[in-house]
Order: sequence, then structure tokens, then C-alpha cells
Amino acid sequence: MRSTVTRHFARRLVLLLPTLVGLTLVTFALLRLIPGDPVRVLLGEHAADEQVARFRAEQGLDQPLPAQYLRYAGDLIRGDWGRSIKTNLPVTTELAQRLPATVELGLAAMAIACVVGIPLGVLAAHRHNRAADLLSAGTALVGVSIPLFWLGLLLAHLFGYRLGWLPPSGRLSIGIEMASVTEAWNLEQVCGGPLGPVLIPIADVASNFYVLNSILTANFAALADVVQHLILPALTLSVVPLAIIVRMTRACLQDTLSQDYVRTSRAKGLPEQAVVLRHAMKNALPPIVTIVRLQLGLLFSGAILVETIFSWPGMGQLVVDRVLARDYPVVQGIVLVAALVIVVINLATDLSYIYLDPRIRYE
Amino acid sequence: MNEMGHLERQRSRFWRSGRAITGLAILGFLVFAAAFAPWLAPHDPYEQNLQARRQPPSDQHPLGLDELGRDNLSRLLYGARLSLLVGVTSVAIAVTFGGLLGALAGYLGGWLDSAIMSLTDVMQAFPTLLLAIAVIVVLGPGLTNAMIAVAIAAIPTYARLTRMGVLRAKALDYVVAARAIGAPRSRLLWRHILPATLVPILAQATLGVGTAILEVTGLGFLGLAAQPPTPEWGAMISQGRGAVFAAPHIILFPGIAIMLMVLAFNLLGDGLQELLDAHSA
Repeated sequence: MRSTVTRHFARRLVLLLPTLVGLTLVTFALLRLIPGDPVRVLLGEHAADEQVARFRAEQGLDQPLPAQYLRYAGDLIRGDWGRSIKTNLPVTTELAQRLPATVELGLAAMAIACVVGIPLGVLAAHRHNRAADLLSAGTALVGVSIPLFWLGLLLAHLFGYRLGWLPPSGRLSIGIEMASVTEAWNLEQVCGGPLGPVLIPIADVASNFYVLNSILTANFAALADVVQHLILPALTLSVVPLAIIVRMTRACLQDTLSQDYVRTSRAKGLPEQAVVLRHAMKNALPPIVTIVRLQLGLLFSGAILVETIFSWPGMGQLVVDRVLARDYPVVQGIVLVAALVIVVINLATDLSYIYLDPRIRYE
Repeated sequence: MNEMGHLERQRSRFWRSGRAITGLAILGFLVFAAAFAPWLAPHDPYEQNLQARRQPPSDQHPLGLDELGRDNLSRLLYGARLSLLVGVTSVAIAVTFGGLLGALAGYLGGWLDSAIMSLTDVMQAFPTLLLAIAVIVVLGPGLTNAMIAVAIAAIPTYARLTRMGVLRAKALDYVVAARAIGAPRSRLLWRHILPATLVPILAQATLGVGTAILEVTGLGFLGLAAQPPTPEWGAMISQGRGAVFAAPHIILFPGIAIMLMVLAFNLLGDGLQELLDAHSA
């Protein structure tokens, strides 16, 4: 059995290669499709002529396109993603700062969607309960019809400005500092050995996830502040996945509840709760996981709008900012990273099916 | 038990058609408003009255005035034209190109099929709104370009749907029979296979118009689609953003309008989809 799991895993990894080539071809083409000289596109309109000429020769942009692509792919693998025109920082640095904010927002939104959506869907599917039925149908419909940017503006206005219950923008209040996990745990001294170079970068990335960071450094004042800032944007972003999860949970569970084995387990006198939650849910779960995964990927589209409204310093806000500033190397990097994140999510959920659905193991 | 199942089915069937009818009614109302905007609008949507900026709803201006003192109701009515036009055109483009790619892939198969499917795989790895923004980076901002960008991002959906439909239709008895008596390829495809794939595409396209409207208004809000002073709903919300505290009515009504229009397409699409499921079951 272990060997089939390993083979499944290996096959998925091999299938990943053409996708990665495809993705990088798209981002490679992006810069060349923008009207104008790609060197000017990369360096900005105000670059001096000799700078342009030097950059063209240095970066091999005078060579044929296939050679340019190979070079681009090689640079990507080596971690050289170019430099921002606006800030002159390496693109990877900018992305490393912004990506955790977006991931944190996305996970919070998905957590809200699951915690509210799955129970609501179960209630609506199980008891022919009119209130739950109407509520789930209404949520499912309104959630996919409401413009997110409008909902976000209304929520920020109502709860942020009018009532003053929650901060309407940003990720952290002024005056509250996030500690560095590396420093708080004194990792540089503790991990003097071979573990250091591995653990410290991980801790540095973890520092940018503010919820995780404030828990790890036991900074509970910061934790409260971070969570307060997270609520409104996460709530706004959760609306679409919530709608879809409610709808899918209801449909899948209704489907499994009508099957023979459920009738059998009822007939043998199992308590209703066990029938629904232990037996029926187990089979309804894989399609729900698929939906959650698809929604995780789609969240980025919503995050572009939500981050702009709540001044959330993530990748969505960054992409809008840099498109308007014509900072194309950063835009290119964001497009690639967003797609890579989706590819990784897909891979992870594919592998999780091995555990959720044992039939795959015996294929 | 059985009795209840039957009742349940009846009721849900009623609900289904009820949904489609509600969607159709809302849509009819909006199409009417859009078509007769010049006659229904009480004022010129571009006429400014800077003395009366942000004025709340009144008898003369039922939905109030915006940032520059323009009549909100009139702008909303003209905006309905833009959203309907852009939503439907964008989906039409996506269905045409996606359908063509999907039909070729499903009908001819082989390496072409693999190539087209890999292409859609790669396109689907990008979040749709981000892909649309990337296309706008290339084409430049503007309402027409945003419409094209949203269409391009939606092509993979229709390519996959058409391909699946064509594969299924190829195996249908009457199609196999037509092939057996030597019907030419083009006749097979146009007369027998494509009509059989039409209904699922129609249902998806109806839902797709709603999505396209949300995306184009979202791009308009970000300043990447319609530019001022166009009375486009997303751009209207964006322009009213600064006055959200002093004059919430400026952003309130365009948002309700967008939601109503998207809701109508979603109800209609759901109705079609579920009638389709009932038909195939």
C-alpha cells in the first residue's frame, strides 16, 4: 500500500513540470506583450539610454526569445525575480513581505466560511427545517451575487466609522509592534548547529503571519489587535466561499442521506447524530473538500478587491498599486506567485484525498 | 417515507421554476430600464450641479445627487445599459472562442486535444480577476478592454464544458448511427453534436453573465475599466467612496443595482441548470 501512495505522489510531482513551464511561459510572455521595448518595461520609462543598453546586454535581452526564456526560467529558480521599478527592492523581498498577509486573510476567510457554512448546510440538508432551508438558500444566492467591494465599503463604514467597533483599515494599530520570532525565541543562539540555517528563515517567514507571530511570542495585546483588524476584511472575503460551501454541503449530504447504508444504520438503531455526523458526513466530505480547495484558489480574486478597500497590506493591494504605477516586474512576480500558490494548494488537496478516500489507494 | 419524498420533489420543482421566473422578472425590469433609459431618466447623467453636491434623495432627485452633483437615478439607468451590454458581450466572446477550442479538442482528439487542454489547465491556474488584470496591463485600462480581459479569463470554462459535451454527444446512439451511414464530419459536428451540447453551455453562460458583471464592475471600482465620467456602476461606487460617511446614498444605490442584476442572472441560470438536471435524471 505504501508503494502505491508513493507512486501516486511521484506521478503528481512529474505532472507538475509541464504546468510550471506553462505558467512561466505566460508570465514571460506578459512582459513581451506589453507595448514597447521590454527593457524599458522592466526598467521604467525614466531609465537612461546607456542604462537600457547595459541592462539589455547584461540580461541577454538582445538574444532570441527561446534563449531569453531559458534565462528567465533559470533566474526564477535561482531566486532572482528582478527588481521593482518603484522601490528598487528585489521582487522576491516585496512578495515575501506581502504574501503572508494575503495568506492569513485568506485562511481566516475560509475558516469563517467553513465554520458557518458546513453546519448551516448540514442543518438545511438534514432536518426539513424551513428556517434553515431558507437561510441556506438565501446565503447561497446573495453570497454569489453581492459585489464584494461594495459589501466591504458598507461594513467598513458601519462597523468601522459609524459604530467604531472594529478598525476599518490596516493590519495593525499604530504603536503596536510585532516582535521577530527569531529574536523572541533567541533562535540565533539556540540553533547554532546545522539546524540554524533551516529554522531561522522559517521563523522569519512565520514572523510575517501576525496571528501566528503574536501567539508564538506570547504577545497577547498584539494578538487582540491583529484579530480585530482581521475580522472585517475576512468576513467580507468569506462571503463567496460561504455561499458555495453551504450549497455544496446541503446537496452532498442530502445525496448521501438518501442512500441505503444510511437507512440501514438508522434501522439498526444508531442515534441520529451518529448517522448524520459519523456515517453520512464521511461520504459527503470529499466533494466538500474539493469545493473548499477550488474556493481557496478563487479567494485571490476577491482579495484583490477586499485588500484595496481595507488597506490590507497584502498581494492584492500590491498588484493594484503596481499596475497603476506601471511597476511591471512586481506585477509579473505577483501573477506567478498567485498561480504557484494555487498549484501547491491543488497538489496538497490531491494528496489529502489519499487519506479521505481510501479507494484511491487501491487504484 | 416515499410519500414525503414525492412531496419534497414536487415542492422543489416548484421552487426551481419559481427561481427561474423570479430571475426572469427582475431581468425584464432591468432590461426595460436600460432600453428606455433616455426616456426614463429625469435628468442628463452628465449634467453637474456643484452647488448641490452629495444632496440626499429628494422629490426632484429620487436617489439624490453624487459627488459632482449629478443625478444618481439617471446615471444608474444609463449604467444598466453598460453593465448589461458588457456582461452579455463578454460572455458571448468567451463562449465563441471557448466553444470553438472545446469543440476542436473534443471532436478531433489526439495531440490537439492534449494541447488545448494543457492550455486551459495553465490558464485556470491563474485567479480569474488577476488574469483579467494581466490582460488589462497589456491592452491598457478601459471598459472595452476590461470586457475583453474578463472574456479571455472565462474562455477555459467554456472550452472544458464544450469538450465534455462533445465527447458525450459523440457516444450518443444517433450520432454513432449518423457516422455509420457516412455523414460528413462537418455535418456531424454542426447538426448533431453541437446542438446536444448547447443547453449546459446556455445554463453556464447565464451564470457567467452575472460573474462577468461582478468582475467588470470590480475592475471599474479599481479604476481599470470604465473611466470617469462614464456612469458605470463600479466606477460610480469608486467615485462615491470618499463621501461614504457624509453621503452614503451615493454608493448605496449602484451597489444594490449590481446585486439585483447579478442576482437575476444567477436565479435564471440556477433555474436552467436544475431543469436540465431534472431532464437528464
